[in-house]
Amino acid sequence: MKAAFPYPTLFGDVSFEVTAVTVDGSPLPYTHVSKAEQTVALHQTGRDKWDVAVLHIRAALPEQELADGPWTDAVCLAVLTEKATNARTSGRLTRVQDGSWQGRIELVRNNHLNRASLSLTVAATLDNLPGRVIGTAERDWFVDLKVTTPVRQREIEIVEIDFREGDLEWLRPFKEAPWIVETTGEIPTVYLNTSAVEGLVEVLHGKGGSAEEKLLREMTSSQIAQDAWTAMFHTAISDLDLDEDGTPQMPGGWREPVLQMMLPDVLPGRQLTDALFDINERRTKGFGWSELQTSVQYAAGRRSQMTKKLAVATRSVNSVARGGSQ
Amino acid sequence: MSVEQGEAFGPWLGRQLRRATISQAELAKRLGITRAAVSAWIVGRAEPRDEHKRMIAEILGIDPEAVTNRTSDVSTNLPLTWHHRPAHADGGREYGNAAAFAFNADLSVLAREATQNSLDERHDLTRPVQVHYTLHEISGPHLDKFLDTLRWNELREHYDAAAGKNQKVSRSLKAALEELDRTRTTLLLRVDDYNAAGLTGPEYSDGRFAAVVRRQLDSHKESSRRAGGSYGLGKVTLWATSKFGLVMMNSTLSEPHEGRTERRVIGRLDLPWRTVDDEAYAGPAWFGEPDTSLEHPKVSRSWWADEETVRDLHLERPHSDAGTSFLIVGAYDASGDAASLQDMHEKLVRSLADGFWAAMVGGQRAGALLDARVTTMRNGQVLVPEQRVDPYSRHPALSRALKAYLDNDTVPERTSGDQVAQTDVPLFVTPLLNAPRVEGKGTEHRAVLLLTATDDEERKNRVVCMRGNRMTIMERRPRELPLGTDSFQAVLLAGHATENDGDDVQLAEDFLRASEPPEHNKWDRTEELTSLYRRGALSRIDDFKEEIDRAVRELVGRRETVTRGGPAVLQELLRLNSGGVSTGTRRAQGVPTVRSINARLDDTGAWHVDVDLKLPEAEDSWLLTPVAKFDVRSGGRPAVEWSLLTAADNCQVENGNLVIPAGTRSASFAGVTDPASHPVRGKLSRLLVDVQKARGGAR
Amino acid sequence: MNSPDTAVNTIGLLPDAAIAKFLTRGMQTGQESPPLVALRKAAVQPEPAEARWNVEPVRELLDEAMNRFTGRPSRADAWLAPRLHATLRMTRTEAADSRRWNFLAMITAPDYVVWRHKGGEIVPAARFSGPHYTQAFSRLWWAAELFRDGYDYRPAEFACGFQDVLNTTMRLDVIDHRPTAHTILRLLEELRNANTPDLGVRVNALSSAVNAAGSTLLYDVFAPDEAPDHDAVQDWVDESASMPPVPWDRLPEAPDDGKVSERAISALLPLFTQLLEEAPLRKRGKHSSTDEEE
Repeated sequence: MKAAFPYPTLFGDVSFEVTAVTVDGSPLPYTHVSKAEQTVALHQTGRDKWDVAVLHIRAALPEQELADGPWTDAVCLAVLTEKATNARTSGRLTRVQDGSWQGRIELVRNNHLNRASLSLTVAATLDNLPGRVIGTAERDWFVDLKVTTPVRQREIEIVEIDFREGDLEWLRPFKEAPWIVETTGEIPTVYLNTSAVEGLVEVLHGKGGSAEEKLLREMTSSQIAQDAWTAMFHTAISDLDLDEDGTPQMPGGWREPVLQMMLPDVLPGRQLTDALFDINERRTKGFGWSELQTSVQYAAGRRSQMTKKLAVATRSVNSVARGGSQ
Repeated sequence: MSVEQGEAFGPWLGRQLRRATISQAELAKRLGITRAAVSAWIVGRAEPRDEHKRMIAEILGIDPEAVTNRTSDVSTNLPLTWHHRPAHADGGREYGNAAAFAFNADLSVLAREATQNSLDERHDLTRPVQVHYTLHEISGPHLDKFLDTLRWNELREHYDAAAGKNQKVSRSLKAALEELDRTRTTLLLRVDDYNAAGLTGPEYSDGRFAAVVRRQLDSHKESSRRAGGSYGLGKVTLWATSKFGLVMMNSTLSEPHEGRTERRVIGRLDLPWRTVDDEAYAGPAWFGEPDTSLEHPKVSRSWWADEETVRDLHLERPHSDAGTSFLIVGAYDASGDAASLQDMHEKLVRSLADGFWAAMVGGQRAGALLDARVTTMRNGQVLVPEQRVDPYSRHPALSRALKAYLDNDTVPERTSGDQVAQTDVPLFVTPLLNAPRVEGKGTEHRAVLLLTATDDEERKNRVVCMRGNRMTIMERRPRELPLGTDSFQAVLLAGHATENDGDDVQLAEDFLRASEPPEHNKWDRTEELTSLYRRGALSRIDDFKEEIDRAVRELVGRRETVTRGGPAVLQELLRLNSGGVSTGTRRAQGVPTVRSINARLDDTGAWHVDVDLKLPEAEDSWLLTPVAKFDVRSGGRPAVEWSLLTAADNCQVENGNLVIPAGTRSASFAGVTDPASHPVRGKLSRLLVDVQKARGGAR
Repeated sequence: MNSPDTAVNTIGLLPDAAIAKFLTRGMQTGQESPPLVALRKAAVQPEPAEARWNVEPVRELLDEAMNRFTGRPSRADAWLAPRLHATLRMTRTEAADSRRWNFLAMITAPDYVVWRHKGGEIVPAARFSGPHYTQAFSRLWWAAELFRDGYDYRPAEFACGFQDVLNTTMRLDVIDHRPTAHTILRLLEELRNANTPDLGVRVNALSSAVNAAGSTLLYDVFAPDEAPDHDAVQDWVDESASMPPVPWDRLPEAPDDGKVSERAISALLPLFTQLLEEAPLRKRGKHSSTDEEE
């Protein structure tokens, strides 16, 4: 997909960074800000109550191009949004002496849930029309309220809990299951049952151990992963937003990497949007849906390294058998 | 009579008599005293009465004041000559200065070694030593005058003889001579230092002068110095940088020699073994006055030159601050990456900034140790004006870190990007073998780690480790950095580099130096370390390096990598890619894509697009639907209709689809949108164009 | 009407996973009562217990709505949205927790969900548990939140009178910029006052145009929005401890966190008027909801 603007836009890079953060007036340790990951981790251990975080932002624009181009009255605007809370706050940056643009934006705790996105847009007046978007920073920053480490990619949660007697009532009905996968929430979660199979979780945690123990560990983790990838795929392709012509849009959050990682194995040789369209058609119309399951299984199997683990396991079983017969 | 006023009377008188070729007996006779009395003066047992001093002045033909002050020699206009060292009696031959081959004649190496020497020889420790590199290309009359003063004619036969040998040095020498004859141009590189010790000490025995001028591999070290290798191997780079192996020197001494300090001049030439007029010569030659002493007959020694001579030799020093000027005749950069004068100028500036940024940073706690400048000239005209080497422009993050430390402006924990975090790194110094045991691991020295953010992608995430006079020993990449660590640069200051006082400082300095190989480029296992220190020294060095890593991890934050919930083996299998990183995902290949679009609006508000497609190799023909949509802020994107689709290259348009024959790798088409289908007028829209597999009339 | 058990009178948090397990076709048709005991077990109680999480005022409000708008359930939205918002006083952070809405739909008032949304044979599952603009209760709360003008619920009440605003406009990110949202409402009001036909079609066309033009225009530049006073919201939430039930015949008051600047709206108005004039009026797309039509 290629895009075109009906007017000249900036060719040079627009970039920005969070230079400092204060939380209710006190500075946030800079280790909570990662330029590499473009992420701010607002959660501080031992500090749950706070109201407002102020993010200080510095942007670099292609100044020469901006000065030479047909644009006037350039405005540089940082926008902080979070889908879950429909929150949108903006802050104007102003040009300072060293040529960079600086400004601040407030994040009100009560307006956010998990993770806000911080974007930067440059607009200018062109042909007497103000506010034309002429450039945006390529990558948004994330401002995460739930984590202490500024890492962009969120991991799949793995929760070890007693299904039978643990805090989560809703897991009781699954008390016989060694694990279940939940994909409805913000982050997919694998719940490992500490009480269904005694010692299983310990074996999973082990590092060395006997050949049998290793075997059990590898095969079980692969099986759990198989379940997780399958569940994640199905959740990721449900409730897709459609363009008006019925083309599904790539979903956000964790669903996007899941689809990007699995679609090429589910429908090889297809453009992602074509593959999504095909899958959505099959899902909503029913035809070819069951045939697709084979490919989904195959794709999940690749992600859980089933073949590799089985091959290693078979070999080790063989060698144990040979060792035993001697 | 105080020493400062001049040289002791005895040696002075002895030299004057030799210069004037007057024997002790003759002087005794003319003064009407015994020879023993004169002898007693010369060996320093006695000093003449004022009456005799006046008479001595008369005999030597000099001002009586001169006898009292003894700050100048009898001017006898001894001719300046080249003295070539005769071949070894044992017949051993050297085909070139062996030490010179240890170094590449690379300007960056020269800058590093020569500047480190200057830094080690800093005289007044309250102010920086200044170094000034001057590139000066001379030709025509400038060259002629210079070569005349140098008595090039006397040298030429030695050069020609040496160039005749079929040796490595000979070949390069030959090329250099031919080039000189052809271009009549040469490059002088002058390396000056000010506020340095200068070439002090006697002509032949221990001292800075002899270390530089007379000896090859002598590492003359003053023990109290925080030296890395003062006038050791490094000085060889001066000669290695000269195509002719020729370096002239003019030194202003920080302590008088022969009662004098200014314009001690000598030249030294390193040539391979050669035969000239049936005489065999080995190695070096010196340019100076013939020595009048009995121990070194005819050897050329340094002389106290007049101002005109140093000017003609391009060795004039603009002020009387102590230090030395080395003039490298026929300078070049053997690495080949600096061809023009401008290139060489820049390379020097760069090398100085890289090697000595730390020494050039000053603050409240301690000032800068070094000030470096580079100038480039051609035949007396300035080509590139004097440029002060600015550590901040080439190493902004590192310089900022050190400056913050020197200004006591660091923080324990960073709260904004350009702050500098500081923490201590303990180093336990094992007792020396002959020292009494101490409790625990040894004496604790607290090294200082500074860390700040950087934009320098090339040199990020490293710790520059230094000691002594901010000499970089190594660059360390800390292990096990937490995920998502921002690019940083860090400085570790140990020993004297901490600018701290205390017994531990010198102990740590010595301990670390003992752990360095001769190249001074790492802290590791050395024989010196194990032979000088008690057991455990090696472990302490390893501990220290681990502590450095740990301190970095602490300062970049997130302490130890937090293991998120769940067994590692499972986490491994559930990792989500954040784009690009390959975890065995197959790339979506073999799909047609839009390579480029060229779009414009017409007066009716319709979009006109020219679209280039890229297609994978395929056995079947392609049936593709070009799709145009308008971009939106969020949600579904409205499709707009084509009012016209025309094939341009390698395709046909059929029922709104493109038919592209098999085997075609690229195609292009043009399209015009229908403004009636635009949800918003074209001028306010952002157009998206894509090609999809045709959906069989489903549209 | 089968009123659910009121013995447990706190609105809890019901995980999404429980919906998949317990939502049956019988519940979606309204023929089956939810397994309340099992559902309550699966739910988590909010910490700390606060008056605002009392089931009673909400239940009472819903009963009144079903009573008032018997036979014309979609009319209830405009009445209910501001009153639900003022009864369930909470921050956006709290409102973004889908588990709270799940609880209301599955445990507190599944009867209301069926009454309001059973257009066809069954109520879509997303009305029980779904995105903020679809779920039976969160759509009302968020409509009130996104379209109120400071303390004034009137624009929200007005907006909820148009199913297309709830179904289409509210889904768009552009309306998170308050002046944009209010300018759309202002235009809609003008159209209604002029008795323009096909208001739904027009509001969809306008929303679509605003959304598309938003890819090249930064509305903030025309109409800077003053940041709302977040302390006022917190105060309003805190007051819930002692608040009386919301009035039924006049509008309650929303948090006094600052009105949208008139200047900002008048700056956008000419632009949006033009967008509306130029926007092609199209038949309803296949994706817009049809079960709400009056």
